[in-house]
Amino acid sequence: MRARYAYMLTIVILSFILLAYVLDATRTVSVLSFSLRYAVPLILAAMVGVICERSGVINIGIEGQMLMSAFAGFFGAALTGNLIVGTMIGVGTGMIMGAFLATGAVTWKMDQIIAGTIINILATGLTSFFYAQGYVLPAITPQLRIPGLADIPLIGPVLFDNGLFTYAAIASAFVLWILLFKTIWGLRTRAVGEMPGSADTSGVNVQRMRFLNVTFAGALAGLAGAYLSIEAASNFDRGMTAGRGFTALAIMIFGAWNPIGAMAAALFFGLANGLASQLQTDEVIDIPPQFINMLPYVLTIVLLAIVSGRIKPPAAVGKPYEKE
Amino acid sequence: MHRKILAVGIAAAALFLTSCSSSTGEAAPEPAPAASEAAPEPAPAASEPAPAASEEPVSAATMDDSDCAAPANICVGLVTDTGKVDDKSFNQAAWEGTKLAAEELGAFSKYIETTDPKDYANNIAQFAGKSYDVIVTVGFLMGEATIAAAAEYPSVKFIGVDQFQGEPIENLAGLVFDESKAGYAVGYLAGLMTKTNKIGSALGTDTVPPVKLFGEGYKAGALAANPDVKVTLVYHEPNNAFGDPEWGANEARKQLDQGADIIFAAGGATGNGGLIEVAKDPGAGTTVFCIGVDIDQFYTVPQAAKCLLTSAEKKLVSGTQTLVVAAAGGSMTPGNNFGPTGIAPYHDTEGAVPEDVKTKVQEVLAGLEDGTIDTGCPACLDN
Amino acid sequence: MSVTDPSQTDLGHTDPDPMRAGRWPRVQAVAIPVVSVLLAFALGGILIWLQGVNPFYAYWVLFENALGSSEGLLRVMQKSTPLILTGLAVTIGLRTGLFNIGAQGQLLVGAIGAAWAGYNFQLPALIHIPFAIAFGMLCGAAWASIAGVLRAYRSVSEVITTIMLNAVAIALVDYLASRPLKEPDQPITRTPPVADSAALPDFGTVPAGFLIALAVAIFFSWFLTRTNQGFRFNTVGMNPNAANYAGIGVKRTIFLAMAVSGALAGLGGAVETLGITGRFEPTFNAGLGFDGITIALLARANPLATIPAALLVGILRSGAATLQFETGIEPEVVDVILALTLLFVAAPIVSRLLLRKKTQKRTSVDSGGGGV
Repeated sequence: MRARYAYMLTIVILSFILLAYVLDATRTVSVLSFSLRYAVPLILAAMVGVICERSGVINIGIEGQMLMSAFAGFFGAALTGNLIVGTMIGVGTGMIMGAFLATGAVTWKMDQIIAGTIINILATGLTSFFYAQGYVLPAITPQLRIPGLADIPLIGPVLFDNGLFTYAAIASAFVLWILLFKTIWGLRTRAVGEMPGSADTSGVNVQRMRFLNVTFAGALAGLAGAYLSIEAASNFDRGMTAGRGFTALAIMIFGAWNPIGAMAAALFFGLANGLASQLQTDEVIDIPPQFINMLPYVLTIVLLAIVSGRIKPPAAVGKPYEKE
Repeated sequence: MHRKILAVGIAAAALFLTSCSSSTGEAAPEPAPAASEAAPEPAPAASEPAPAASEEPVSAATMDDSDCAAPANICVGLVTDTGKVDDKSFNQAAWEGTKLAAEELGAFSKYIETTDPKDYANNIAQFAGKSYDVIVTVGFLMGEATIAAAAEYPSVKFIGVDQFQGEPIENLAGLVFDESKAGYAVGYLAGLMTKTNKIGSALGTDTVPPVKLFGEGYKAGALAANPDVKVTLVYHEPNNAFGDPEWGANEARKQLDQGADIIFAAGGATGNGGLIEVAKDPGAGTTVFCIGVDIDQFYTVPQAAKCLLTSAEKKLVSGTQTLVVAAAGGSMTPGNNFGPTGIAPYHDTEGAVPEDVKTKVQEVLAGLEDGTIDTGCPACLDN
Repeated sequence: MSVTDPSQTDLGHTDPDPMRAGRWPRVQAVAIPVVSVLLAFALGGILIWLQGVNPFYAYWVLFENALGSSEGLLRVMQKSTPLILTGLAVTIGLRTGLFNIGAQGQLLVGAIGAAWAGYNFQLPALIHIPFAIAFGMLCGAAWASIAGVLRAYRSVSEVITTIMLNAVAIALVDYLASRPLKEPDQPITRTPPVADSAALPDFGTVPAGFLIALAVAIFFSWFLTRTNQGFRFNTVGMNPNAANYAGIGVKRTIFLAMAVSGALAGLGGAVETLGITGRFEPTFNAGLGFDGITIALLARANPLATIPAALLVGILRSGAATLQFETGIEPEVVDVILALTLLFVAAPIVSRLLLRKKTQKRTSVDSGGGGV
């Protein structure tokens, strides 16, 4: 039922994109590129949510994990003078934040929402407290234009002429989909999130599984943070995640806890924002920008109201596992 | 919010304060200098006594604010808008101006960063309670709190940065700017410079008047220089309008993709994201350019130096400095003090700007100065 | 946090809050938060010490400023007032198994609603104040009801919708305050000031809004434990299936709880507008709704406990500026202290320290009767 809606919507959107491309190729490509770039951190952050919730852990601290990683990644890169080292530091920080959440939510069986909220507040406080001005990245991140593929009309310039983070984000969705649905790890992860009792009976170490999954998911939050400070803005500013971690949570649910679905949702969100910005650019309609800017959010609410009721979260999400 | 529209960073001040701050006896932490490489400032000696002081004041080096009550000691306090003094922008510029003034006066200076707008009055009261002589409040949002404080503490001189004054109040001077003039000047430059006849922008929210004045002035100036130019004004949504560098970068990139070759970025960190993105373009400094805002962003966003044509400047540092010195010396003019606006030097893009363009821009600046050129603002705010 | 039929989702812990179920002696229920706060201050003190400031002096300055004068006390109460109310808003949601992230949006809508009702009418104060407050609450309730209806009848997760509605509310109130409801002839995005007849007074050093917040907290403490409707909220929060079998209208209860939650957030906005800011100005309400989440969690979804939790946050926030003024410590240090407090309250670290009992298998607290 819902799948049919999703396919229909996808076809409608793609048709519009094609039509727009025929009418104005440059503008269409630039708006789509805007949308994709907008979606990159959202995709990565939504993957964090997917892994955690599929394992039965709510991660409301994605925002804080991203912010800490953006901070550590930027200053790591600036101080070492090496973008790769900086990115690694960002990813490592994400994993530490992931382990922090795992320790609280899994090992200590704390309330998961509280554990996530602590991360958010802590990240805001620490990054503001220790922020220092005057640091600059040693270089800009390279763009990778994939020869051949990048020459395909429409798809090429949008998809195959990007920074490395963009490819990583898209790949992460596909890889995670395969891992979740085609591997033993995925089977176990889903079991741990749906029926931890049965998983335990069949020999899966629920606690360990959850701990590792939440920790490694943090690495993706780290990548999302590093994208923001090292690639997108080439700078760190206080509070620069600007609510994207929360939006990603919505996107994860929008995508029905499915990596590909979440990526599609993030792209849809990016597209809505791209259109909002283009409507302003072209001054097609004279309405207050506030209305254009709230458009994606209103659209999301309306869409959810229409296709609601058929997406289910993993059954055990939010519950610490108690061995019987 | 407003604080962030401005981007600051006067290198002169930066070096100046690194060299002198230890001797001003500041308790507040020092923001790291924005750009210390280009500081041509001949700093006056830090320990130089205040020339106006008739009796021997406590040396600024050793004094703290418990000495403020003594008439010979001058104390200057600054309350930021909800932001930090290292915001590369508004608050920082005002603070640097304040420090320069304190140096000049041999005065003690200190700041408080506001975290909640409801604390404005309390933060002002902290200074007033210690008998500070001059209190600088930053940002138009603090306008009412400053007026109230001026009434409550008649012996204290207040300077409201970016606060437009209605009825003049004896002990309150507003430092205000006509942003549309600076916007017009850089727009005029952009209109002459564009090869594609498309110029763009990444702006903070249009619900903050100075941002809109910059934007509308930019558009008017560009059209005056080149009637064929297509000017794109894109504003961030009001939420987090000045703290979203990724959006600024993304928006700038999109407009470049659509053929714009000059981007005016005005909106705190959001705008800075736009500047840096333009600098990443392979054509940066040759075919595509960026324009900064508020203060010479060559110093505050060195990453963008490559593409930075100029910045639409509000001379906040010197404006604040002048007013503080006047206030401490008793020669402050109550009511509105219009601070100078203008454009920053071309710096690295000097060679890319043809001489005749420079000449024309100079003429426009002169016209704006003497009022023969009308930017269409503030009426433009109703657009 | 689900998109499924509410009756299908018991995402919280099935065991009730140990504190309320009486498994914890009362002494420990008080001791753990107190020790947690002390520990957090100790760690915050290290941070302060690392900045070269004597932490004892720093804390003395902070508390002296907040509590040492009547102005300080007034400010603490002013700051705590909206926090108590948004904390209660989140609490009501948590007790019913709903995670209302949208308190910020509801507060904004309530604040601008109260501002409009406050400046647009000329009424006697005895009518005007209740009217403006009620209108603000109504706006907040209506805003939350969008999420409530979608959750109850369309099974859309309130987490997503409230996140989205926050973004919409921010844009909406900004539009309203910059165009139709803008104060004319001045450039700032804000409404005209509310009429004197709608302004909430201070009784000596106690703001009327603070008394309202206290009364509301006490009322909801009674409501949740002593009334049928409160029982329904709790039951739906703990176990929607059981609630269903017991004949409780789960959907209606969810809708109602969301509306009440929104009304409380709206009340927070209204009291702030009528008592403190005197008009609606967008930036003046930043973060209050989000702080409500912190408060509710610190208070472990106990309505009465929102009062000390909000006071703690109020003291820290109002002392932060003085801290910087006197010592140069960045005011964000209070955020770090708050996060650590929440960590120690919620994590079993402190409780393990205090209770070395084997029976204490799960010493952590959860985010409410129903969890999320």
